[in-house]
Amino acid sequence: MKIEEVIHTVNQMKADGIITNYAIGGAVGATFYLEPVSTLDVDIFIEVHTEPGSTIISLDPIFAYLRERGCKMEGEYVVISGWPVQFLPPTGPLIEEALAGAVEVDVEGTPARVFTAEYIAAIALQTGRAKDKVRLLQFIEARALDLPSFEAIVAKHGLERQWHQFQQFLL
Amino acid sequence: MASVSAIPVMSLDIEQMVASKQALRRRLAALPIAEKLHLLDAMRERAVAIRGVNHRQKIQAQEQPPDYGKKS
Repeated sequence: MKIEEVIHTVNQMKADGIITNYAIGGAVGATFYLEPVSTLDVDIFIEVHTEPGSTIISLDPIFAYLRERGCKMEGEYVVISGWPVQFLPPTGPLIEEALAGAVEVDVEGTPARVFTAEYIAAIALQTGRAKDKVRLLQFIEARALDLPSFEAIVAKHGLERQWHQFQQFLL
Repeated sequence: MASVSAIPVMSLDIEQMVASKQALRRRLAALPIAEKLHLLDAMRERAVAIRGVNHRQKIQAQEQPPDYGKKS
């Protein structure tokens, strides 16, 4: 099991034109800024080509590409180097913006695109599960966030109520 | 008369324990990213081993994906 091989595979997908762009999010993305956070899967947010005039995003080319390279499908996951990987097209403006603003990090010579800490935190606030709130708290406690930037994202995407509630109960 | 045990006594000072945990978290966060990713690999291998080794159980050793479908 090697996450670095997952990153290498996704970079190759981009080089081969299967995806136009990507960024790592979720717990693996958070690990770029915090202590390692135990997780069972890898969330890869992707930009994909769409047919001209179509708004339907199909992940079939991704699955076909990976199947040809020996990867197995398990439900909504593709198993790459032992890791269940979920490919997630953007579902709203917050994730679209996070993808556009993702940063490239060098992992021992391999480039990895990752959401910024502020966007990972904002997405956690939006998804709002207990574990997402814990993640947001970890970012705050570790002082890993640029708070003005984070609050600007919160305001832009209408998450002020969730942020206010979070502050009220957890800070 | 019984002698005093030489075994170190565990600290029950909660402030010391919290400070120690925070220091560990800071040290882990400061590790090079490649090293942190290796730790994730090791943690997942351990989680899969704990949850079961057969294929069916491996599939179950996945998380409930978050609802990224909410529109902001």
